[in-house]
Amino acid sequence: MQRFLDILLLFKEYLVLTFLIVISIILLAGNDNTQLHAIRAYTVGFIGVIQNTLSVIPNVFELKRENEVLRQLNINLSDEVNRLREARLENRKLKEMLNLKEEMPHPLISADVIGKSLHLLRNTITLSAGEKDGVRVDMPVICEFGLVGKIIATSSHYSIGQLVINKDFRASAKVQRSRIDGIIGWDGGEFFHLKNIAKKQDIREGDLIVTSEYSSVFPSNIKIGIVAAISEIPGNLFKDVDVQPSVDYASLEQVFIVAMPPDSERVLIEGPVPRLR
Amino acid sequence: MIGKHFKYALISLLLIVAQTQAVRLLSIEEITPDILMIWIVYIALRLGQFSGTLWGFAIGLVFDLVTGNFIGLSAMTKTISGFVAGYFYNENKTHLILRSYQFIVIVLVVGVIHNVIYFLIFTQGSDIGFFRAVVQYGFSTALYTSIVTLLPMLSFARKYQG
Repeated sequence: MQRFLDILLLFKEYLVLTFLIVISIILLAGNDNTQLHAIRAYTVGFIGVIQNTLSVIPNVFELKRENEVLRQLNINLSDEVNRLREARLENRKLKEMLNLKEEMPHPLISADVIGKSLHLLRNTITLSAGEKDGVRVDMPVICEFGLVGKIIATSSHYSIGQLVINKDFRASAKVQRSRIDGIIGWDGGEFFHLKNIAKKQDIREGDLIVTSEYSSVFPSNIKIGIVAAISEIPGNLFKDVDVQPSVDYASLEQVFIVAMPPDSERVLIEGPVPRLR
Repeated sequence: MIGKHFKYALISLLLIVAQTQAVRLLSIEEITPDILMIWIVYIALRLGQFSGTLWGFAIGLVFDLVTGNFIGLSAMTKTISGFVAGYFYNENKTHLILRSYQFIVIVLVVGVIHNVIYFLIFTQGSDIGFFRAVVQYGFSTALYTSIVTLLPMLSFARKYQG
């Protein structure tokens, strides 16, 4: 304490000067004149410059807090972007489906894919529409990208669709450009196979394959895929044609069931439709 | 000790009245001597820096209150004047300083510092430029004040002669 007092006494002149100047400044601040307004303006400007200069020095705690806020904001924005992206994709898909619905001459029953069985060689999907919605066995299933398959079983509210990528699936198909007919099927793997195409018939890579008028189940001109490769096997009368599917079966979410029951008279006259299981 | 300070207080009041009422009679081209400055320098040379600072503040504050003009400005500038004058305090040479030209020089130096600080604040926000005010009024007032200091200096020279 004595030491402190000694220090105070040693610097008493400076202390009293500082104290009295502070008192004077307080008294000055009590005035309201032009000079003081100018001084206040300078002071504010000076403090602004100091603060601006000091702002270069990072405040660790402030940075940490700001970082947390920005991270949270980033998460929120990412979430919103994802939702918007999802909405955009859904919007695009719905628009395409709407176009399909307008183009199709037959009534369409929309259904969500609520289950998939994509294994082995007998791939099927479960749909959220059944007999009460007008779904019947052998009705074609399509989506905005093309042929999906056909209905093979129904219940009141659900139905099972047999996909084109099913070993038992067969459909009459044709080359859109040259009108050559064949049978589309799948034996596993990446491509469909267009069968019964004679070696002399006009077919090229890139040709679009669609359903033909010969089918008693599928409406004509539904897109199936594009010719990806053509090969000829020696000693065989037919070409081996690989077709790239136009539908991505792994990402199916919504489909349409074409409310087109098979023409019973035609079925009767052409013979029994093979029931594939 | 108390009697000495009472005497200083009384003289200070008389000088403040004189500064506000009578000194204008000595004005030359609106320049008047600052007799309070001479008095504060005298106190600082007689009593030291600490007392000079305190008396500077007290005299400046009373002067501000009497004139009612920019309260706190003279208190601040005269506090600094007393403090600066206190640097020239030498207990053993007080009489020697007071009766010599040193007294005049100290008043001149302190007067210039006082006026520079005074006009630094006083000219803010006004049309009068700081440098013009310092040159035209600050230096002139300090010079005039130091000339007037000749009177007490000669008085002290006679009083402390020998």
